[in-house]
Amino acid sequence: MKKTTLGMFVLSLALLSACTDSHDECEHCHIAYVNAAGDEVEVEIMNAAGGDEFCGSELEEAEGADFTYTLDADVVVGNDTVPAGTYSEIHCGHH
Amino acid sequence: MKTNVLVLFIMMVVTFTLKSQITGVVVDKDSVPIPEVEIVLPENDINLYTNKSGEFSIDLELSIGSYIYFYKNGYESKKSQYVGNIELLIMLDDLHVKVDEISVAASYNILGNSKLTNIVNKNIKDVFLNSNSLLESVEELSGVDLISSGTGIQKVVVRGLSGMRVVTYLNGMQINNQQWANDHGIGFTELGLDKVELIKGSSALRYGSETMGGLLYFKDQPFVKTDKLDGFVGSKFNINSHSNSNQFGIKWNKKNLFLNLFGEYTLSSDYKLPNGQYLFNSRFNKNTIKFSVSHKKNNLQNTFRYQLNNELTGIPAHVCLGDPSQIPLTDLLSESFDFNTDFEIKTPYQDVTNNLLVYDVNYFLNNTKMNLYIGHFINNLKEYEKITSPAFDLILSNTLINPHVKYFLNNSTLEFGSQFSILNNKNNINERLVPDASSMNIGPYGTFNYETNNIGLNLGARFDYKTLKSKDNTVTTNMVFNVDYEKSFTHPSFSSGFYYKFKDHITRISYSGSYRAPHFSELFSNGVHHGTNRYELGDTSLSIEKANQIDFKYQWSNDHLGIVINPFIQNINNFISINLTDSIYISEDNFGNVLGSYRVYEYMQYESVELKGFEMNLHYHPHYLHNLHIEQSYSFLKTNNKEDSLGLALTPANSIKTRLLLDLSKYEKLNKFKINNISLYHKYKFEQNSIAQYEEATDSYNVFNFQIGGNVSDNLKYTFGIQNLFNSEYTPHISRIRGVGPNGVPNPGRSININLKYEF
Repeated sequence: MKKTTLGMFVLSLALLSACTDSHDECEHCHIAYVNAAGDEVEVEIMNAAGGDEFCGSELEEAEGADFTYTLDADVVVGNDTVPAGTYSEIHCGHH
Repeated sequence: MKTNVLVLFIMMVVTFTLKSQITGVVVDKDSVPIPEVEIVLPENDINLYTNKSGEFSIDLELSIGSYIYFYKNGYESKKSQYVGNIELLIMLDDLHVKVDEISVAASYNILGNSKLTNIVNKNIKDVFLNSNSLLESVEELSGVDLISSGTGIQKVVVRGLSGMRVVTYLNGMQINNQQWANDHGIGFTELGLDKVELIKGSSALRYGSETMGGLLYFKDQPFVKTDKLDGFVGSKFNINSHSNSNQFGIKWNKKNLFLNLFGEYTLSSDYKLPNGQYLFNSRFNKNTIKFSVSHKKNNLQNTFRYQLNNELTGIPAHVCLGDPSQIPLTDLLSESFDFNTDFEIKTPYQDVTNNLLVYDVNYFLNNTKMNLYIGHFINNLKEYEKITSPAFDLILSNTLINPHVKYFLNNSTLEFGSQFSILNNKNNINERLVPDASSMNIGPYGTFNYETNNIGLNLGARFDYKTLKSKDNTVTTNMVFNVDYEKSFTHPSFSSGFYYKFKDHITRISYSGSYRAPHFSELFSNGVHHGTNRYELGDTSLSIEKANQIDFKYQWSNDHLGIVINPFIQNINNFISINLTDSIYISEDNFGNVLGSYRVYEYMQYESVELKGFEMNLHYHPHYLHNLHIEQSYSFLKTNNKEDSLGLALTPANSIKTRLLLDLSKYEKLNKFKINNISLYHKYKFEQNSIAQYEEATDSYNVFNFQIGGNVSDNLKYTFGIQNLFNSEYTPHISRIRGVGPNGVPNPGRSININLKYEF
């Protein structure tokens, strides 16, 4: 009986700890530009090293209220043109 | 002086110690002993069982006049009043038709006497095995509906009312978890729960005056007097959302010490719609651990409970820009499922952590039970719109102190006490939708019950004094929060009920009145609420809501048919509602770029609204097939806003719920198939045309669920179920994502469940 009880307890702990979620700390980020129709147009941005993922403190900074990103030239996305300028609304991850 | 008081107290304890030594036997109508009969001592929250010879022995302190309950599946339950140390012979009759609406069968209710008050109770001990979720099980009760988006976010609607008007208690503690919003779920799981009691309407005086819609009281499984370690492990799988839930529980007792310990881990991905696509971010995970310790010595019983819940819940169908109803559904769905990535919670999501601590002390003295209850509940809600920082981060803490005295005298019970509660809402960051606020409430109450076999009477009254304060001048990204508010509210509440039984006919009428002070979310909201895709605006001039309800019940049953008819009418003055306006809120950054646009919703007050309807339950049990049970419940509700003669927003559609249950456990020849029961559940929802301004009508629909349950061995139970058997596509009128997409986001499609539970 004791063995059964112990076995069940160990099994339950194993089940409880079997599934863990992992949070990926790196994400793609984009300018969220709103076109005339009110739809969001995404322009992907690059990190300081020229890579396409933001990780850790760089991700935190990109999502911060003071972060801005400057487009030096117009960017065409599908039928929309995102004008050159400074943007502060940056979305990271799936949005 | 102190020494004298102490000596006097010790003398009282010594003088009035009533060590019960009740022995007895439980038999059926042929005088055959019945083993494993559950003997419930509700005042002590302790259960025990008869042995193989149907015998039992109780050596615990009981109040004279308190009740002992006897339960066994397939038999009518019985109750016996404790009058002294005697030997009992309890005979249980076979149960054919179970109609427990007015408690013909003896049943214990924490919330009061169900003969005199509209209390429905449901056993949820095996909800892990038998249902997809806790609240989907509760929804099977007549008059109950769910606001939901999959199984991640679900909350209860009682007779068309929800949010602040439906109050939830867990083990005596009010669960305040920002329940004013439809995207904030119930805040705990079915882990370790034993039963739920529901009062429809406003008769729950002990538990507050603000329960206009109803009161849900969830209670943990009782402690067990046993000489071995009891426990279980369980696991369940749902194919539709690829969810997996694992639980364990242990019950232990040694002499006067009792311990219960439970744990749970649940992980779910996005649910699959009938069209085969997945609703992105309807995923969630939940972790719970809870334990209870009780010590009983002489007349004194001390109980301590702790519970920790953590939930990460994705907010599906989230729309930042434009009118949500114009968004193509395909923008919100995923074509396929990926095991590696689709369990990971994505923004926007909620991170909810709830801590519940309870201390409960009972003292038994002759005919009296004295109780002091102290509870503390802390709710931390974070809503993440960004990955690295929350958009909201609130801590809502609630402390409740409730001294209570229960006095038994022959056929009467007198109860009185007072609820004292302090609630504090604190924002941890500058961004906020509701300000920092606090409230204090004192509510003394008293109830009187008189009951004989044929007649019963209940009278109760309560008086509440509540103060609400908020001072908040925080500067957020887009505005300055400017709140300076202090106001007190006083209001009486009452309830009354009369019960009469003539042969097999039972009638009951109850009349109750309740009052609700406005909540701080209704007064001060000012900001974008991402969970509901809207900008919400409060109104500081809101005043108290007042409700009156008349509830009538008639019940009749014989060996094969039972029927319950329950019409009701409730009138609410100064009804607070959140309504869509014609304004759009557009947020911009410092460079003039549009960040988002949201429809503006505003809290307002209607002069008078009326909710009326009736519920009916049928239980048919054919003579030629004793193990087939046909249960049907009807819920019809009509709401009327007397200002515009339209209905109220989010009024559930009328419904008929039917269950066919074939109990195979008594067919010995079928034992080899390991099947105990087969059930088919059908829910028909009528179309909803009674709607509020700006609300759209919804179509009728049918949903069928099928389930087989059995025992693989003495210890291992299983259920195999198919939910939404015919893969019907439907969006309930009160779905929290009905306003997203042209016709709303449908509920889950066909789903297969396999649930296992091993008991030792």
